[in-house]
Amino acid sequence: MEYKDYYQTLGVERTASADDIKKAYRKLVRQYHPDVSKHKDATEKTKEINEAYEVLGDAEKRAAYDALGQGRRHGQDFQPPPDWGQQYDFGGGASAEDIFADLFAHMGRGRGRGGAGMGGMGGGGFQMRGEDIHAAISIDLRDAYQGATRTISLRAGQQEKTLSVNIPKGVTPGQQLRLAGQGHPGMGGGGPGDLFLEIQFNPDARYRVEGASVYQNVPVAPWEAALGASISVPTPSGAVEVSVPPGSQSGRKLRLKGRGIPSSQPGDLYLILDVVLPPATSDRARALYEQMARELAFNPRERIGA
Amino acid sequence: MHEMTILSGVLVDDAALTLEELARACGVEPDWVVRRVHAGILGGQASVQLTAWRFRSGDLLRARSLLRVERDFDANEDVAALVVDLSDEVRRLRARLHALGFD
Repeated sequence: MEYKDYYQTLGVERTASADDIKKAYRKLVRQYHPDVSKHKDATEKTKEINEAYEVLGDAEKRAAYDALGQGRRHGQDFQPPPDWGQQYDFGGGASAEDIFADLFAHMGRGRGRGGAGMGGMGGGGFQMRGEDIHAAISIDLRDAYQGATRTISLRAGQQEKTLSVNIPKGVTPGQQLRLAGQGHPGMGGGGPGDLFLEIQFNPDARYRVEGASVYQNVPVAPWEAALGASISVPTPSGAVEVSVPPGSQSGRKLRLKGRGIPSSQPGDLYLILDVVLPPATSDRARALYEQMARELAFNPRERIGA
Repeated sequence: MHEMTILSGVLVDDAALTLEELARACGVEPDWVVRRVHAGILGGQASVQLTAWRFRSGDLLRARSLLRVERDFDANEDVAALVVDLSDEVRRLRARLHALGFD
């Protein structure tokens, strides 16, 4: 597996004090925060920084890391001492990086920082329930309308596992799906933790989703907007006949009740009209525009005082 | 490869979390949650009986975001709440910009 130089990731010397490590970490976390950073790889970078700090920010894990990494360089291949990977299944297809991170990640789990809940002393031994795992799963908007099955790979304890998960119809962004018993394994006979999956929606240029409400832009011709029309609109739940009221302008919202995400309280679908002009590229089209210009007393800039 | 069982979960919004469950999901003591609910930083139904408190998806997301900021920066809980609120607002505005065709 590849050795990762966490000191290099945080840009500190191996001799850096705990305080310096914390300072370096904070600076980098702010710099690469995905909400703030313009870096393309901000999310990836944040992950690396967090992984490095997870180890170097904890005295015990840092000592273990230092003992392992004496004289090694970033990216160098190395074999961990035999007692390190005792429970690892190296043939399981997990990537070397994940295993490397895991060498330290669960050290001291359940101690300090809150940790996992105690399961009580049962059967004469020490029992502890496994920690909950948090992960995100990305779906398309139509999956929320119809329900779907998605596969997700994650690490629980020291094993990578692939789960097939049923995404219920009606989910909205940010909702958490709880899978009981799919978290980290417990200790001393304690039960496993749970898996919490955050539902995220893949970006779709056609739609914007807020809770169970869905917003969709609908291009219309000037005459449809001006005179009113019955138009056919492809929506996430299929094509719908919609009547455009006469005198509509761009930006007008038409609400289709209950056509948003079919949650327990179904959302609405908002169609936002977008008046699109036919190009004046033919003689006929130009003549029609010229006729309108001559015959309609229309000042589009009236409202700005022109 | 063998057939995989399809697992079905429960939406936290359909079966809301108890105080204990939320704390465990965040890896904190229940008291951490209680203090933030009382301070109005975290939602949940602040009824008198702690055992009757229930938390939904949004509360879990928010609790984890708050915790992250508090730990990363040793931030005081009010400052962490402000950071998380601003961050949510930035994301909301970005989504609107995106919908309007500005990226």
